Parts: sequence; C-alpha cells; structure tokens
Amino acid sequence: MTFTLIKKELESYFASPLAYVLIGLFSLISGIIFFNLLVTYSDGIQSLPPNYTEQISFVEEVVLKFFANVNFLFLFFVPIITMKLFSEERRMETIDLYWLSPIRDWQLVLAKGVAALLLVMSLLVMTIIFPIVIWGIGIKDFSMLGSSYLAVILNALAYVSLGVFCSSISANQIVSSLLSILGIMFLWMITWGGHLNSNYVISEIFTYIGITSHFERILRGSIGTQDIIYYLSFVFIFGLLTVKSLGRRNW
Amino acid sequence: MEKILIVDGVTKEYPGRTAVSNVSFQVKSGSIHGFLGPNGAGKSTTMKMIAGLLLPTDGEIRLFGQKISPEKNDSKNLIGLLSENAPLYLDMKVENYLSFVAKLHRVQHVKEKVEKVMEELNLTQVKSRLIGNLSKGFRQRVGLGGAIVYDAPFLILDEPTNGLDPQAVVELRDFIKKLAGQKTILFSSHILSEVEQICDQITIIHRGKIRASGDLSEIHQKFRQGLVLKVGIGPSEKLPDLTSFGSYEITHHHVLNNEEQFLINFHQDKDIRYELSKFLISHGVKLQTMHVESPELEDIFLHMTETK
Repeated sequence: MTFTLIKKELESYFASPLAYVLIGLFSLISGIIFFNLLVTYSDGIQSLPPNYTEQISFVEEVVLKFFANVNFLFLFFVPIITMKLFSEERRMETIDLYWLSPIRDWQLVLAKGVAALLLVMSLLVMTIIFPIVIWGIGIKDFSMLGSSYLAVILNALAYVSLGVFCSSISANQIVSSLLSILGIMFLWMITWGGHLNSNYVISEIFTYIGITSHFERILRGSIGTQDIIYYLSFVFIFGLLTVKSLGRRNW
Repeated sequence: MEKILIVDGVTKEYPGRTAVSNVSFQVKSGSIHGFLGPNGAGKSTTMKMIAGLLLPTDGEIRLFGQKISPEKNDSKNLIGLLSENAPLYLDMKVENYLSFVAKLHRVQHVKEKVEKVMEELNLTQVKSRLIGNLSKGFRQRVGLGGAIVYDAPFLILDEPTNGLDPQAVVELRDFIKKLAGQKTILFSSHILSEVEQICDQITIIHRGKIRASGDLSEIHQKFRQGLVLKVGIGPSEKLPDLTSFGSYEITHHHVLNNEEQFLINFHQDKDIRYELSKFLISHGVKLQTMHVESPELEDIFLHMTETK
C-alpha cells in the first residue's frame, strides 16, 4: 500500500513541470559552482611553483566545497519540493480520500517523505557527471566522494522530514516553504551559536542540536554513532510530529 | 427500520464560536436522508464529523454500531463522501484516479470494478482524459465514482449538485435515486424541491442546532396546524356555513378551470372529508374536488429557520 502511495506521489511530481524545472535548475547551478571551483583550483595550482602544488588539496578545494554548496542549494530546493505535500491536499480537500480509507497516517507521512527524498536524490544523480568529468581530465583522487554523497543525502533526509512537517501545519504552500527555509536556517545557526558560546555545556548541546557539525564530520569521512543517532532521531521526531499534526483532524 | 447512524449530542466548538451545538438525529437503513439548512448552519461541519474528518468537541457518533473516531480504522471503507467540490487530483486521468481510490480501499479486482463504475456513471468516454480538463458536471460524477468504487454502504453527499448545469443536476440526481435501497445516503442541499423529490427523511439544522428531524411525512404532519382542505365546487356556487364542523377560516379563494376553489383551514386535526362531502352534497353543492393540502417543505423550512 505504501508503495502505491509513493508511486502516486512520484507520478504527481513528474506530471507537472515543477520536477523538470527543479532538476534543470539544480543541474545548471551546481554545474556553474563545480566549474568555478575547478577553475579556482586550477588557477591556484598554476600560480604555485611545481614543488608546492601538493599544498592545495583537490578534495578540500573542489569536492568538499562543492558538496557544502549543494547543501546550501537544498535550503531552497527541498522546501520547494516538500511544500505541496500536505498543503495542496488540504487546499484541494483530497486529504479526505486518505482519511476515509484504511490508510494509516504514518503510512501517508512515510510515502510522501520517501517520494520527496527520491526527487531530491534525482537532483543529486545529475551531479554524478562531475566525478566522470574529473576522471576524464586525469584527476584520480576520489577519496571522500562516497562520504560526501552520504552527508548530503542524510541532510536532505533531515530537511525533507522538516519540510513534510511544515507542509502538514499550513494549507498555504508559500507559508509551508517559508517555515521550512526558516527551520533549516535555524538548524545551521544553532551550530554557530554553539561555537560562539563560552559555556562548555551549552556550547556542546547547541553543537549537537545543530546539523552542521554532523554534516561536516560525515562529509570528511568520520561517521560516528552519534551522527547516525542524530539523523535517525531527527527524522523520527519530525515524522512523529507530522503524524500528530494530521491526527488532530482540526482543519 | 434499523437506525444505522446515530448522532448523539454532538457539539463542535472553535475558538470564539460554536459551529454546532448538541446535535442529535438518526438515519434509517436504506433511506435517503435530507440534511437541510441555510449557508453556515453547520451542515458541512456535522457531515465532516460523521465522516470522521473532524473531531467533535463533545458527543458521540455511531455508524453501524461503531463509534466514529479518526484513530480507529473500524469505520473505514463504510463511508463514501462527495462534497460540493469533489476531492479530485486534477493531474490524474479519470481511470487512474478511480483505480487509485479503489487501491486505497484495498478493493479486489480493481480493473473490473473501475470499469463497472465508469459504465454506471457514463464516464467511459472520458476515462483517458485528465480530470482537470473536464467540466464540473463530469468532475462531480468522477467524485461520485470515487465515493462508490469501494462499495461503501453509507454515502455522505454534501451539496453535490451545487454549481452544476440543469442537465448535469438531473443526471446526478437520477443516479442518486438509483442508489436508494442499496445504500443509505445522507444528502445535504439547500434546493428544497430536490430534497422533497429524493429524500424520505429529513433533518433541518439552523444556527448549529437541529430544528426538526424525522420522516418527511411526519414533519409535514407535525407542522400542519389543524386540517387544511382544498375544496373545488361548481362555478358561481357559494359555500354554505361550515360552523357545524367547528371553527374554520377560508384562507384562499379563486376560480380555476371553471371551478370555485377554496382553501379552508379547520382548527382541528380530525379528518372530516367524508362528513364534509356528505354535508356539501346535501346542501345542493356540486362538489368536484377535495383533498388535504400539505404545507410545502419550503414553508416548513422557512418557518424553522426564521421564527426560532
């Protein structure tokens, strides 16, 4: 049953031009970012004497910076993808179809979340071309590529679960997407707040609640249990909040 | 007849206002129950609570003996809903939409069932078209298809004919009439003639409170004050004094089809047609027609919603 719901959501995404516009736009912007990083790296290498070129790491300057930029792009792309999930159903009253059926609220939340995540991942699929280009020009250093993809996918998962929740609390898509954007920015800023706070305990709590420290650790390949627990509990909490929000039936 | 829906003391409160207050009524199995009320009376709120789409603040709703609650899945598959704006995915094709709804309700043999429903509702010709490109009449039919594709025994139709052209109204109404007996239907409308044509029971709601509920004939009877007879006698004839039947009042008199017609309101309930006809004939009056005049549903509705 959940599979039927996921299929319907994906068909709905690809029935409108939105999915294609997002994929096209994401490919274009990420392409420009990648090209700029590559040119900057190449210029840096050429400006150094031949014996010092190893001081500039390709992974640091191109791979990690590229995925950090992809994470920034998600600030706008993920809320656009998730904003319609429940808001549109509420506006069109199609949510009634599910509430009259034996579908459980959690199945609906799961299906919508998975469909949104699959669309986000189809944006990422377009970036696979960049490692191929690098391979083509003779750079073979692909360390941290896998962990970088894992980091952005986990971040996308967290943003999607936040976005699905925001969509469930407003019938207005614009309000839903703005709430998602603010939520994601809050997740970033709370980490900065942790760095700025002189109290060790508060600083540690803020750093753990914020998403950036977890993202950066995984990006650099050091995946810890605490990071996995963080992402799993994040998705679980927002999934639960969404189910509770639907369960109020007070629209 | 068995009561399959029991609404008992249901109240719905929103911050600062009460949408419906202590609403109670019952719906008999196999009937088409009209739910009448002016705009904002609380019809849709009540119907949404019956469908389990809205939680009541107080009171209880039982359908087929089960308490309606969004948390419990027992009542699922029992209710089909069609509102004024049918819940449709405009980017889906008609056939795909009906199949999707059938799958949500775990219908066996989805393809055959969907084809049967499309045939019944004359949707086969538009099965491959996007719902968004259809007229409102077709959309409502697709919505009704979605409500019946999983064979729900109880249908909630919330002003389903609103905004349709006259031909679409007749078609939809005819189909609803065909469903009578097979299904129990709660049908809300503000078109009184429509309710009178297809419903056998009605409930009138006004300002969130129930004003009357029961069989249409019972409500007519209850509303009638005294006996109103329409009597037609020969042209240019005069009506004799009728005080031997108690106090009375002639409320209307006109000449129609070569007949003097009188509307006589007797201030008592006893049926005196036989005695009156004998009396008139014995007084040499050419009695041509006589029948009991029932109040129009419109009169009852206006009375219920204006004077209370």
